[in-house]
Order: sequence, then C-alpha cells, then structure tokens
Amino acid sequence: MSYLNVNQIQTAGNLPSFTTGANTINFGTQSIGASSASTMKNRIINGAMVINQRGFNSTLASTGATYTLDRWIGYNRLASSAYSVSQNAGSVTPPPGYINYLGVTSVAATTINAGDIYYISQFIEGLNTADLAWGTANAKTVTISFWVYSSLTGSFGGSLQNSGSSRSYPFSYTINSANTWQQISVTIPGDTTGTWLTTNGVGVQLTFSLGTGSSFVGTGGAWTGANNIFMPSGSVQLLNTNGATWYITGVQLEVGTVATQFEYRQYGAELALCQRYYFRRNSSSSQDIIANMQAYSTTAVFGKLFDFPVQMRTTPTSSYSNIGHLSGWNSSGGSAQAFTTNTGITADTNGIYAISGLVTGSSFFTSGACAAVQFNTTSGWIDASAEL
Amino acid sequence: MYKLVKSISGQTLNCVFRLSDNATIPFDPANTDYQAYLKWVAEGNTPTPADE
Repeated sequence: MSYLNVNQIQTAGNLPSFTTGANTINFGTQSIGASSASTMKNRIINGAMVINQRGFNSTLASTGATYTLDRWIGYNRLASSAYSVSQNAGSVTPPPGYINYLGVTSVAATTINAGDIYYISQFIEGLNTADLAWGTANAKTVTISFWVYSSLTGSFGGSLQNSGSSRSYPFSYTINSANTWQQISVTIPGDTTGTWLTTNGVGVQLTFSLGTGSSFVGTGGAWTGANNIFMPSGSVQLLNTNGATWYITGVQLEVGTVATQFEYRQYGAELALCQRYYFRRNSSSSQDIIANMQAYSTTAVFGKLFDFPVQMRTTPTSSYSNIGHLSGWNSSGGSAQAFTTNTGITADTNGIYAISGLVTGSSFFTSGACAAVQFNTTSGWIDASAEL
Repeated sequence: MYKLVKSISGQTLNCVFRLSDNATIPFDPANTDYQAYLKWVAEGNTPTPADE
C-alpha cells in the first residue's frame, strides 16, 4: 500500500482547491468527514428521533418488543407497565442542533430479577452492515456516538449483538451530571468470529439497557460468545427507580475509530429510510378517498388500495384502525356505507393490493361496478409493518 | 390467538389474522410476525379455522 501525504492541492492560479484535515477533506468551506455532511455514514436510521409515524407516546404494557418512534424498539419483560416512551418526554431542551429525542420514563420501582431484560434497541438490517465484514478476519472497527440525559448518574450499559444474540459486546458509558445532556462515544473493534447476517435480516442489534438481570450481564469491553448479554455487570438499573428518566438522541454508528459529527439527513430522506420498515397511511379528513376499487358482489369490494412510497424490506403485516373507519361508495355515488367485516387486507412489498371489505345488508353495490373507498373519520389509518 | 383467512371467493389465503389487533400476517419467512406465529404453532397451538 502506498500513501500520498498532502495538506492542500491548488489550482493553476495557486488558489486552494481542497485541503485535508485529521478526518476531513475540505472543499472551500465545505467538509466531508468530520462534519454533518450526508455521506450515509450513519447506519442508524432515525438517530435524531424525528420520525414517529405511529405517533407513539405510551407505556409499554405487555411483555415483548414494541416499536415506538420509527425503528426504535422498546422491550418490556413484564406484562404490566415498567416504563413509558415518548418523543420529547418531559419537554427538556434538546442538545444543540436537535429538535427531538426519545424519552424513557420509569413508571414504577421495578425489581430486576435474574431473567429480566428491559431495553431500547435498534435492529440494523444486514444489507446495511455487510461492509463491516464482521465474522471475518477483515472485520471493521465501529464507533457509536449519541447524546444522553438522565435523572440518574453513574455507569450505564448497552451492547452490540448479532441476530442470534450468540455474539455480544457489552459496553459502558458514564453519565456524570444528572439532567444534563452529555455526548458519548464508544469505539468497538469488529467481531472476527460468529455469524453476522448480510441479508435483509438483522445484521447488528444496538441496545441500551434500562434494566438487565444477572443472567444477561457480562464483562464489558470485550466480545463474548455467551448468549444475550445486554450490558456489563454493575451498570445502572434505571427502572429500579420510579420516575427516573433517560433521554437519547443523535445516535450514530459509523465505521472508524472516531466519532464524527452526526449525519444530518433531510426529513424526507429519513422518512423514506423508515418506510422500508413501516408505513402508515393516516386519514386526512372525514371523507378521504383512498382508492377506486371494484364491487366484487353487492356487499363486497376488492382491489388495490395503494402503493407504498418505498418498497418494503419484506412482505409486511398490515392492519388498520377499525374496519368501520372505511366506507365504500356505490356506483351511483349517492351514499357511502361503512364496512362491517374485513375478510382480508393483504399486501406485498410494493403495496396493499387486496382489501375485501363487506357491508351489511344487500344490494348496496352494483357487482362489477367501480366503488370508491374512503376513510370516514380523521382518526382512521392503515399501516404496514416489515420491521426487523 | 390467530385465525386462518379465506378470500371472498373462498380461497385459502397465504396469511393469517392476529386476533389481538386484526392484523393480517403474510406467510413470509422474513416477516417477524410470521416467525412469531410459527413459534406459537410449534408450541402446540392451532389457529382458528377460517370463516366459511
């Protein structure tokens, strides 16, 4: 390998064309590298917590994983509530350059038993981490950076894991001052062993622990083959304290040994990245026409509802607010009748292509004729989830 | 709990209803809800038959 060491390249008139810095290439006043320039360096989607298609603002009230703000999972061990998640919880001023954060609030003094886990996590698709070459001798080092704010201080914990949770790297970060935004960076060497998916499955799982039982803690700062290690032992158990808060934003995972400035992406671009995994079509009025479909019979309509704005990761699960929030117009256009039965909303990666809505009564539709379908309320929605 | 699905023409569809939220889950191995459904079936559970 050979190197060319230069500080500046000049034009023929001896004007600087570009200069180099420690981690930057500078074109006039514009920089690539240690800047907010968009180079798709950040493997985290919605790291600035701007996108919240679900409008999530709730306690996690059941056992298992719940998607909160776009791409961010909250995991709850209890069937009862241990914590809530909302965008800009507590309405504190975000760190400079940000307008949103993900806020966790403990709603009980929860005892963390040996087998318990509570966390906030993002599963990164393997297609977006393939170049890390993890599981090989060429594994690349990554650096995680984020802004964090908590009512508690001390050594907190998180981890990187593979899809099967058979490889884990528990890491620590220290919050020195309560209720103060603090920027953290953690550099982690690439894992040269283990199985790391490079498909549309989970490539890398980044997790921030809110409470982890003794069965799932390990030694920090090293890769381990022990299953499901979510934080170093001795880390702060946030959910032990009723009312404790933990806020986070500006999450970035990038290749390299230094944390560069957070990659700012325009709202539309960030939204499109999120929509590969989740899309919600919200009603915009009480007469929001969605599609023109065909009356399959006098009581049912069938056809394509809409295309997704972005091709989804895989065939999504589809659901809706309430089947009664959808109405069909008959061919005369004189009246619309709300559906009472859903016999199937199905989809592929490109769109929702078959809704079979039934209305009560008979002879409402003219079989074979066009039937417009609408939301009949502003609270209506249809969504599609292809989350990891 | 889950329920199998038939189309309005009576064909069995490659999807299942999740009764807790009326979501329609496709039989796609990469869909995590389908993976959860398969785990539920592997635990010895059986979905409700589709409406006739």
